[in-house]
Amino acid sequence: MLKDYFKLSFRSAKHRKIRSFLTMIGIFIGIAAVVGLISLSQGLKTAVSEQFSNLGSDKVIVQAAGGGFGPPGAAVTLPITLKDKEAVAKVSGVDIAVGRLIRTVKIEFNDEQKFNFAVTIPKDKEERDLVMQVNDYKLESGKFFDSNSKGEVVVGSDFAKDYFEVPLEIRDRITIQDKEFKISGILKKSGNPQKDSTMVISESDLRDLLDIRDIYDIVPAQIKEGEDLALVSQSIKKALRKSRDVEEGKENFIVETPEQVLETLNIILVIIQGVLVGIAGISLVVGGIGIMNTMYTAVVQRTKEIGIMKSLGAKDKDILILFIIESGFLGFFGGLIGVILGFSFAKLVELVAFQLFGSFLIKANFSPLLMIGSLTFAFVVGTISGILPAMQAAKLKPIDALKK
Amino acid sequence: MIKDYFTISYKEIRRKKLRSWLTLIGIIIGISAVISLILLGSGLKNAIESQAQGLGSDKLLITAKGNPLTPGLSTDAVKITTKDQDVVDRVSGVKKTSTFSFTTAQIDFNDNVRYFPIFGSPTDPEERKLIGESQNYDIGQGRSFNKGEKFKAVLGFSHLDKNLFGKAAQLGDSILVNGHKFKVIGFMEKIGSPPDDQSVTIPLEIYSDIFETGDERGMIIAQVGAGEDATKIGQDVKKALRKHRNQKEGKEDFNVQTPEDLLGTFNIILDMVQAVLIGIAGISLVVGGVGIMNTMYTSVLERTKQVGIIKSLGAKNSQVLALFIVESGFYGLGGGIVGIIVGVAIAKFVELVFKLAVGPAFLLIKIDPLLLIGALTFSFVIGTLSGIAPAYQASKMKPVDSLRYE
Repeated sequence: MLKDYFKLSFRSAKHRKIRSFLTMIGIFIGIAAVVGLISLSQGLKTAVSEQFSNLGSDKVIVQAAGGGFGPPGAAVTLPITLKDKEAVAKVSGVDIAVGRLIRTVKIEFNDEQKFNFAVTIPKDKEERDLVMQVNDYKLESGKFFDSNSKGEVVVGSDFAKDYFEVPLEIRDRITIQDKEFKISGILKKSGNPQKDSTMVISESDLRDLLDIRDIYDIVPAQIKEGEDLALVSQSIKKALRKSRDVEEGKENFIVETPEQVLETLNIILVIIQGVLVGIAGISLVVGGIGIMNTMYTAVVQRTKEIGIMKSLGAKDKDILILFIIESGFLGFFGGLIGVILGFSFAKLVELVAFQLFGSFLIKANFSPLLMIGSLTFAFVVGTISGILPAMQAAKLKPIDALKK
Repeated sequence: MIKDYFTISYKEIRRKKLRSWLTLIGIIIGISAVISLILLGSGLKNAIESQAQGLGSDKLLITAKGNPLTPGLSTDAVKITTKDQDVVDRVSGVKKTSTFSFTTAQIDFNDNVRYFPIFGSPTDPEERKLIGESQNYDIGQGRSFNKGEKFKAVLGFSHLDKNLFGKAAQLGDSILVNGHKFKVIGFMEKIGSPPDDQSVTIPLEIYSDIFETGDERGMIIAQVGAGEDATKIGQDVKKALRKHRNQKEGKEDFNVQTPEDLLGTFNIILDMVQAVLIGIAGISLVVGGVGIMNTMYTSVLERTKQVGIIKSLGAKNSQVLALFIVESGFYGLGGGIVGIIVGVAIAKFVELVFKLAVGPAFLLIKIDPLLLIGALTFSFVIGTLSGIAPAYQASKMKPVDSLRYE
C-alpha cells in the first residue's frame, strides 16, 4: 500500500514534467542558498578554532582590561608591567611566561611609507622557543635573528610580497620609525592572514624605537604539564591582584584561556551566520508557497481521478496521504538537487577565495549532518505546503468529482 | 485594443483567486525583503551622514596616521602635539583651532569598576565651543567646565541610568578616574550612540597629567573662516604641517580631513555588506519569478480551448503572446506594489525599535521615490520575463489542436 503511494506520486510528477521541475526549482534554489551559506560559515568557524587549538590547551593569556578596538594593549588604562609578568612567571604551575608588545610603526621602503603592526620577541631563550612554537614561525628564506642581534626583522610572506610595490627580499633594508633595519628572514605562507602580514622585531629594538619602558601588551603563559588550567588561572589572578594592588572583583586585567577567547569570537560568527541563513531562508518560504500552488492546481486538475479512486473505495485518509506524499516528494527532490548545488557552490567559493587571497580561512564544510538535515527539512517543507491542498482533495465528494 | 489585454488579464487573475494570491505572495515576499534591506542599509548611512553634516562643512579634523581602526587615538608611532596646533593656527584662512584627546579609562563609582571612553576637553569656552560643535555635544543637566577647572567631570547621558554602575549618577557625586577623584558637574544630552553616551569628559590639562601625554593630543579641530573653501584651506594646512614635521608630500604621517572624508571608508564597507545581503534576498525574488512562470504555464494549459477560440476568430500569434505577457506582468506589478508597502513598513518598524532600544543615531530611513519607481519597474520586468516562455508556447498553439483539447 505504501509502495503504491510512492509509485503514484512519482508518476504524477513525471506526467507534468515542466510544472514539477519549475516547482522544484523554487525549493532547490532555496536549499542551495541555505546549504551553501551554512557550509561556508561552518568552514570559517572550524578554520578559526583550528588556529586556536594550535595553541594547545595549556596556555593562558593575560592582558590589561579596558582596551579599545584593536590589538591587545591598545588604549588600555593601566598596562601590564614587567613586574606583572614576573609575578605571573613565578606562579607555581606556570612553566614559562612571555611578554609581547604589538604596536603600529611607520615603515619606509623604496620611497613608500606605510604603517603596520610589529610584534616583539624577547631575549630569553626559553621564552623565544615558546613564541616560535606557539606561532609556528617557519622560515621560507633567510634566518631568524638571534637574541643578541639588533636592527633585524622577520616578516610574513604577504608582507614581503604584496605590501610594498616592490617585493621585499632577505637582506633588504627598510626604515622603521626612521631607523634602518635589515630583513633577516621571510616566513612561509601560512594561510592565516594575520600571521602572513606580521613583522617580528626584537623586544629591545621596539622599546628603543617607540620609547616604551616598562610595559607589555600581552602576556601568554604556558602551564606546566599535568596542572589544572582553571586552578592555575586562579593563582595567576591572585598573583596579579597583589602585583597591581587591586581588590578581588575590581581587577583591571583579564586572564583568559584560548577557548574563552574563541567563545567570544564564535558568538559573533554565529550571529552573522544566523542573519545570512535567515535571509536565505526567505527564498525557501517562497519555494514552499510554490509547492502549495502546484498542489492546489494538481488537485483541481485531477478531480476526476480522485473521484474515480474514491468510488473504487479509497478513503478520505488515503487521498490525503497520497497528496501529502506527492508534495513531500517535490520538496525532497528539490532538496536533493539543492544540497548538491549548495555544496558545489561552497566548494567553488573556497577555490576562488584561495586563488584570490591565498587564505585558508574560507572553507566549505561538508558535514553529513547538514546534508541529512537539509534533505529532511526540504521534505518537511514539501509536506507542510501540501497539507492544505491535500485536505481539499480528501474532502471531494465522489459524485461531484466524477461529474466534472 | 490594449485595454482588452488588461481587462482579460485582470479577469483571469480574479478567476483563480487562491492560485493568484499564492503566486503574488511569492513576489511580495521577495520584493519586501529586498526593499527593507535596501532601506535599512541606506538608513544606516543616512544617520551617520547627518551626524557628519551636523559637524558643519567648515571644519577640518587633523589626526595622526597609523591606527586605521580608531583615528584620533594617538599611537606610539605618530604623535600630534600642541605645537602642531600652533602651526595650524597660523595658516591663513583658519579662524580658530581646538584640540581634544580620548582613550579608555577605569571609572570607579558606587563601588563598581568599569571601563568607559574618556575625553579630555579644553576648558577655554571658545575652544570648548568649537569641540562642542564638532562633536554634537550639548549639556543636558548641570554645566560644563569653567576655564581652569581641574577635577570636574561631565558624564554622558547613559550615566543617568542605573544600568552602568548599579546606581544612577547625580550632580555633585564623586567618581574615580584611574584612581583620581572627580566631581560630577554636568550631564550631556542624549546623543544616540552608546560609546558617546557612556563617556566621561574631563578637562584636557588634567587628562594630560593623568595619562602622562604631555602636549600630545588626539585630534586637532580647525574651523575655517566664513566663506572660505574648507578643502583648499585643508591643503594649506597639510603643507604647513608637512613643513613643520619635515615630511615630503605623499609621506605625511597625519591626516587632514573634512568630516565627510572620514565617512568614506566606512561607507565602502557598508556598501559591500549591503550588496551581499541584498544579493541573498534577491534569491527569493528569483524563486518568486519561477512561481509566476509555473502559474502561467498552468494558465496556458487550462485556457488552451480559449486560446483556440480567440485564434480561430482572427487573433494573431503576436496578440496572444502579448496577452499572456501582460498577464504575467500584472502578477509582477501587483506583487511589487504590495511588496513595496510591506517592505517600507518593515523598515520603518525596525527603525522604531532601534530608536527606542538603542538611540536615534543609528537609523534614519529616507524613502527615495526613485527607489520605489525602480522597484515597481523591476517587479513588472520580473513578471513579464517569467511569462515569456509560457506566452510563447501559447502563441504557437494551432487553433485546430487547441479546439480539440479537452
